[in-house]
Amino acid sequence: MSAGINARTIVLAVFAAALAASFALRAGAADDATDPHAAHQPSAAATVIRSTANYNVPPIKLVRDDGKSVSLADELNDGRPVVLNFIYTTCSGICPLASHIFSQLQRKLGADRDGVHLVSISIDPEEDTPARLRDYARGYLAGPSWQHYTGTMAASIAAQRVFEVYRGDKMGHTPVTLVRPAPGAAWVRFDGFATADLLLQELHAAGHVTAAASPLSPAGR
Amino acid sequence: MPAAAEVLYRQGILPSGAPLRGAREGAEPVEGAAAACVNCHRRSGFGTEEGRIVIPPITGKYLFRAGSMDTANMANPGGEAAGPRRSRYTDQSLARAIREGIDPDGRPLDYLMPRYGLDDAAMAMLVAYLRQLSIHPVRGASGDTLQFATIVTPDADPVKRQGMLDVLEHFFGNKNAFHLGVDPPLQSDRRIHFRVVRRWQLQVWELSGPPENWEAQLDQRFKAEPVFAVISGIGGRTWEPVHRFCQSESIPCLLPNVDLPVVAEQDFYPVYFSRGVLLEADVIARRMQEEAGKSGLRRVIQVYRRDDIGATAAQALAAAIAPLGVKAVARELKSAKPARELADLLRETAAGDALVLWLRPGDLQALPVQPGAATSVFVSGLMGGLENAPLPAGWRTIARMSYPYQLPPQRTVMMNYPLGWFSIQHIPVVDERTQTNTYIACSILAEAAGHMLDNFVPDYLLERVEVELSHRIINGYYPRLGLAPGQRFGSKGAYVVRFADPQGKRMVADGEWIVP
Repeated sequence: MSAGINARTIVLAVFAAALAASFALRAGAADDATDPHAAHQPSAAATVIRSTANYNVPPIKLVRDDGKSVSLADELNDGRPVVLNFIYTTCSGICPLASHIFSQLQRKLGADRDGVHLVSISIDPEEDTPARLRDYARGYLAGPSWQHYTGTMAASIAAQRVFEVYRGDKMGHTPVTLVRPAPGAAWVRFDGFATADLLLQELHAAGHVTAAASPLSPAGR
Repeated sequence: MPAAAEVLYRQGILPSGAPLRGAREGAEPVEGAAAACVNCHRRSGFGTEEGRIVIPPITGKYLFRAGSMDTANMANPGGEAAGPRRSRYTDQSLARAIREGIDPDGRPLDYLMPRYGLDDAAMAMLVAYLRQLSIHPVRGASGDTLQFATIVTPDADPVKRQGMLDVLEHFFGNKNAFHLGVDPPLQSDRRIHFRVVRRWQLQVWELSGPPENWEAQLDQRFKAEPVFAVISGIGGRTWEPVHRFCQSESIPCLLPNVDLPVVAEQDFYPVYFSRGVLLEADVIARRMQEEAGKSGLRRVIQVYRRDDIGATAAQALAAAIAPLGVKAVARELKSAKPARELADLLRETAAGDALVLWLRPGDLQALPVQPGAATSVFVSGLMGGLENAPLPAGWRTIARMSYPYQLPPQRTVMMNYPLGWFSIQHIPVVDERTQTNTYIACSILAEAAGHMLDNFVPDYLLERVEVELSHRIINGYYPRLGLAPGQRFGSKGAYVVRFADPQGKRMVADGEWIVP
């Protein structure tokens, strides 16, 4: 289905005190979670694992929230950078935060907003009809460049498998955000809750989005 | 009026009326309903699991005792094995956890948990709420017995009723065959298997008289012999009084055999397999919409009986096709032997008409040999008897049927399990669909109850069903089932099928599974 994840895996811990300016970056294995600062600087920061991967997107037919039947590959290859996640509208734990982050990212993109395609694919497609997705999108003030997708159960599962996020059913899902900073580039995968700033940094680093708003250097890349 | 603490917990509204605000590092604050505790920790307070994230229980029982990975203390609901490794909370350390996201041992809570800047009064109120949450004695659950009821309305089909009761009695009998007697509350994992085995007792609540009297009868039965949950059940024309009873008394009512359920997904306690004939109406409407251009659809004629569920389905279909701008004609059958009525009705049909039959097998049998001039014919599968519908041979080439199940060849393997069980139990199969659904409902209840440990709280039963339902592989007639908060219909779609041959039961799908 897809190429394996590259060996370069970076654990990112985001600290509130140094929110936008500094990222504590440590190269190391994902399971090596010891944090030298944990003892004296307790923090509920998101633990995020960054990796890169190439995913081959086979023909998959999805239905966009405007009711139009579309090809996933075409939606991803419209020339814009893509930020992708998987959600479902009646999810009460992980997805609201994931959608909240997209909403925030959209705002932070400012003038670049419509130059980045935000893609949210439902993992509960039979419940999430286009109408329900539109309502959901409205709740997060989704602009025209943030679109939600549904389709048959088989199509949703196929899309989840492409990006290696399929966990058997909707209740098994884990927070994953995927960024492709430019068409044809490798995908950057974040396991865990990647904050809007982290996603923004990834987009800016590739240079396809104006870096005016970014205080972050592409360290570690 | 719910108490202020419940409003805070469930709706995210502070006693002042201001929205609750929760903060997370690097993210904008969440507010109001989106910040409410209930989203993650659920109504019961017992938490849940999503993927690898365990949302821990936050009822007083768990907060104020030490969490542990010790096998000697594994009674954390949800993820027993993932119980928090922490010291017990005090009121002060709990307030710090809620405000600053730090556990009693000084470690940060999961990123998913926001920080809440509650003032002292609101904090005291919330902590008091958590202290009492889900600790009240539960009706119908005692140290060794769980009481259940099944509900039968007087207009339920007597054959299906008997088939359902057979399955329930055998299922309960089997369950109790393994019961080992009274068991003390769990203290260690060594007793985990005993503790979840309660004796299951079934009451059959047979209603009588007109529907407006049912709720009073249910209240009376429930007061006399309280039950923990209502399992399965069977209805006819209306299920509304039962639905209202379940919701107002806060009793889980799981998966009754009703083809016209109540659509009120904001209600928490009643859960259904599907929207039944209302789903069929939407699926037929969808198909009409797709074909409207090329079929030259001008008029939709719906045939039903006033005292049957097809009357409501016909209204739903008429509403659903309103945007098409075609004329919707309603035709009620009146006579007990409707052959003549049906023949007269067919003489009126013309090209451009779609005929929709919300009829039972007895009425389908009375159809004239040939279907008349209508361009298309749709038959309700649920009412007509699915592949057993006695449609005259002349109708089979034109008629299509809404079929809200997996097709027979594709469900063969899924059906081996219930059919094998009926056979082992020597249960006569008098209505395969009703009996299979009853068996599936019992299996779902048994699984969910088995994962509740000794937290027999009605809300938690439904929360477990929501979490576990979509894991299931054996769902009998249904290709898949799934629920979630705010989702109260397990199966969401249907096929449109047609008969493959002039005789026999072979059906072929006319297109993909449709989710309207």
